[in-house]
Amino acid sequence: MLIIGLVIAAVLGPLYLARTPRYRTPRRLGIGTTASVAGAAVTPLAMGQCGFAPETSGVDHLLAYGLMAGGSWLALIVAKAFYDRADGERSDESGMTGEIRSGGFNLGWWVPWALLSPTLIILAVFLYTPAAQTFTLSTKLARLGAPKSLDVCFGNFTELLITDPVKLVAIPLISIGAIYGARWWRRSASPGSLGHRGAELASLAAALSVFVALYAIFSPGGDGQVAYRPVYLNTVIITVGIVAVGMIGGLGIAYLAFRKIRGGGIYRTLLIWPYAISPAVAGILFFMIFDPTAGIFNYVMENWFGIDAPNYRESAVLAQAAIIMASGWKILGYNVLFYLAGLQTVSIIQIEASILDGASAWKRFTKIVIPALSPITFFLLVTNLTYAFFDIYATIDFMTKGAPAGKTSVAIYEIIRIGVNNGDLGRGAAQSVLLFAAVIGVTLWQFRTSGERVSYGGA
Amino acid sequence: MNSKIRLFALLAVIALIVAACGDGSSTDTTEAAGDAATTVGGDGAGVSDIEFWVAFSDEARLGFAQEKAADFNAAHPDYNIDVVSFASYNDVFDAAVLAVDSGDPPGLIHFFEAATRQALDAVDAGGNPIFASVTEAIAGRTEILGVPVVLDSVVDAARNYYTVDGSFYSMPWNTSSAIMFSNSDILDAAGVTEIPDTWDEVEAACEKIAALADGPSACMTWPNHGWFVEQSLGQQGALLANADNGRTGRATEVFLDSNAMVDYIGWWKDMADKGHYVYTGAQRDWDGTANAFYAQEVAMLIYSSSDATLLTEGGADAGFGVEASFMPHNGDVDYVGNLIGGATIWMLDGMDDVTQDGALAFLNFFSNAANAAEWHQITGYIPITQDAVDLLETEGWYAESPNSLVASDQLAAAENTPASLGALLGNFVAIRDVITLAIEDILVNDLDVAERMGAANEEANKILTEYETLFGG
Repeated sequence: MLIIGLVIAAVLGPLYLARTPRYRTPRRLGIGTTASVAGAAVTPLAMGQCGFAPETSGVDHLLAYGLMAGGSWLALIVAKAFYDRADGERSDESGMTGEIRSGGFNLGWWVPWALLSPTLIILAVFLYTPAAQTFTLSTKLARLGAPKSLDVCFGNFTELLITDPVKLVAIPLISIGAIYGARWWRRSASPGSLGHRGAELASLAAALSVFVALYAIFSPGGDGQVAYRPVYLNTVIITVGIVAVGMIGGLGIAYLAFRKIRGGGIYRTLLIWPYAISPAVAGILFFMIFDPTAGIFNYVMENWFGIDAPNYRESAVLAQAAIIMASGWKILGYNVLFYLAGLQTVSIIQIEASILDGASAWKRFTKIVIPALSPITFFLLVTNLTYAFFDIYATIDFMTKGAPAGKTSVAIYEIIRIGVNNGDLGRGAAQSVLLFAAVIGVTLWQFRTSGERVSYGGA
Repeated sequence: MNSKIRLFALLAVIALIVAACGDGSSTDTTEAAGDAATTVGGDGAGVSDIEFWVAFSDEARLGFAQEKAADFNAAHPDYNIDVVSFASYNDVFDAAVLAVDSGDPPGLIHFFEAATRQALDAVDAGGNPIFASVTEAIAGRTEILGVPVVLDSVVDAARNYYTVDGSFYSMPWNTSSAIMFSNSDILDAAGVTEIPDTWDEVEAACEKIAALADGPSACMTWPNHGWFVEQSLGQQGALLANADNGRTGRATEVFLDSNAMVDYIGWWKDMADKGHYVYTGAQRDWDGTANAFYAQEVAMLIYSSSDATLLTEGGADAGFGVEASFMPHNGDVDYVGNLIGGATIWMLDGMDDVTQDGALAFLNFFSNAANAAEWHQITGYIPITQDAVDLLETEGWYAESPNSLVASDQLAAAENTPASLGALLGNFVAIRDVITLAIEDILVNDLDVAERMGAANEEANKILTEYETLFGG
């Protein structure tokens, strides 16, 4: 089984490194084969080929092959970057880094490393080492204070996935195929035509199909599997909700507060306040407002309007909305801050010109302000997603503790519940790795798609 | 263009700094652990430093520990007991295991009853148990550094719960039981003359309270916490785990779908369906349930006796009378007994004899009659030694605050059987989580009790099996 993987790596490696005919040199072909095979062999050797052991399932094999492909791909990227430079291929440096490099001091190669070392050492000790340990831990059954730990190979991962290996491969492949198909369609259709419009819609649908595909490959539970599909769904709903509430609200409020109004400085300061509050305090505040027995909201509804408001924690929709509201409110001030700063960079000349041309306020907002803010929006999208993924544990813990029956338990909440509160280090680590992969994936996707539409202005 | 890039870079830097500052809030416990490490070790002018890690952070309970440590230090200048506060029992334990591995362990840690098995099983990197047996370390002495040993005076309920293989491994401290608190004003108004004792009586009382024109929105509540389920199993004489609840051997199987379990949760669901029980909507919601009682949204509250003083005073402040009584039980089966809850103080192994004697002396000083009585009075945890009970009686305490006596009486009324002692179980915290999540699912989503508990049973047994693979034999 391992051999099959290595042979595939040996065939595909040189194809990748020597894509253009100019580079079909024996050296590059050789390097391609070596790097690809070496990269592919790292993980199975490090894990003692456990993914191919006799008692393993098709899903285990798939994960093992997936890791081999990932290792091979990483090795090839490094090899390509190295040999492209050696072969005089100009890498696509942006103007910015090019400028800086041309003005550099001509010192030994070690000078930049020496200057970087304080940061690198801190990163290595406090970030990379624990991260590497998390990967190791994710293949174990382990607890603090235990006399031993057990290697479970991919067990902590396979129990989160569906058990049918064919579906596990086919569903993501269909989704990826749809994305590339839609992209090809969009390129081949002439801009402005009906076909191009259709292709754009298809691209959107294909991008969204990734969410559906992921939903389909996570296990719904039962048969000793972990019901991770609901957790995934909660995470998507709550994350999208927080980012939407936080960013749309942030932009709207910033746009209003940016106008010249009496006491604007006070408004703007007050608007930023929620960000200074910790997630735990945000959770307590909203808990106090909405608590069904002792909360202010229910008191007001009952005594002033005679409405018996329902317990938000007993309804999935209300509970998720409450988490989104509390977390979105907390990040709102942060977004307002950045949008207020960004609005100052919007060109007054363009706005004035558009007023003379008779453009409506809405047109000016959508056609000039929003595009001018695109770098800020892109930056905020990344930070807001990071916040929604990682920082809402305390808010959830104070407001719902995952209620009703796990409907507000998002990925980070599950990780802390299982890994920290229940002390199941291996499963906690495995779910952390999954969240890590999700964040990498979302960020890559953002850079590829948003990057095209972000305008920094100027040249 | 450059100015824009610069602005953008500046914003990014600000964001990073703000994010870094924000993260600081979550590192309190690690900082506490770090501070602790610096003072461990018997150096200085012949003074032995002993860290005492406590899982309380509230003024009353942490303050008590700090005050008693200061008293001890003043009486024994050769020792310095240093109380360090942690947010939870789990935090204390995790930090202690890591501190053992890094060579800077505390001397004493505060850890809860359900994790007794876990503490007994915990080993360091070399495979040696982390904790030393308190009984063994005392080795029959009646006095250590002039402090009388009080271990023999520990009340039976706590003694029986914490004695494993005939020995006290840890020194009992905060000990409580689950009891019921009633709003006597509402009960009087509804014409409930006698506080209900069985499930049927509770339901009958609730019918009367529901008939009140301006009565509370629901009759009663209690936290969805695994401990109350265990209490009910004890009352009904049913085991939670095999090997006599893990008391004659290691428990390797749990019975979450037993008849007693299904009966109890079925009654619970029935009360919720009839509108008598109000679920606050979250698991382990101590605050929400207590607030409902204070706000007179419910007439009865099943709760830990640890808050007997607080709840009684809180009711008086809100203008209603509070009466404590035994936790209601299933009238269809013979009552066997309620169990304790709470925590003990564990002594870490590996201290030199001088330091260890200081730690032992402190433990016995900490629970001497006067201190144990004071602890009971400020909280509601039971007086942990018979000496303290006697002292409280002579002082006339129980006559003036009868609610404080209920937990002790309830525990004294319990038979000494494995069922009413409660289970010693590996990974009990995770198994409790499985139980409370299943109950929430049943209450909120209207599921079949036996079926859902069957699924929970499978899940819990998997957790226990995995624990036993790592720790057992």
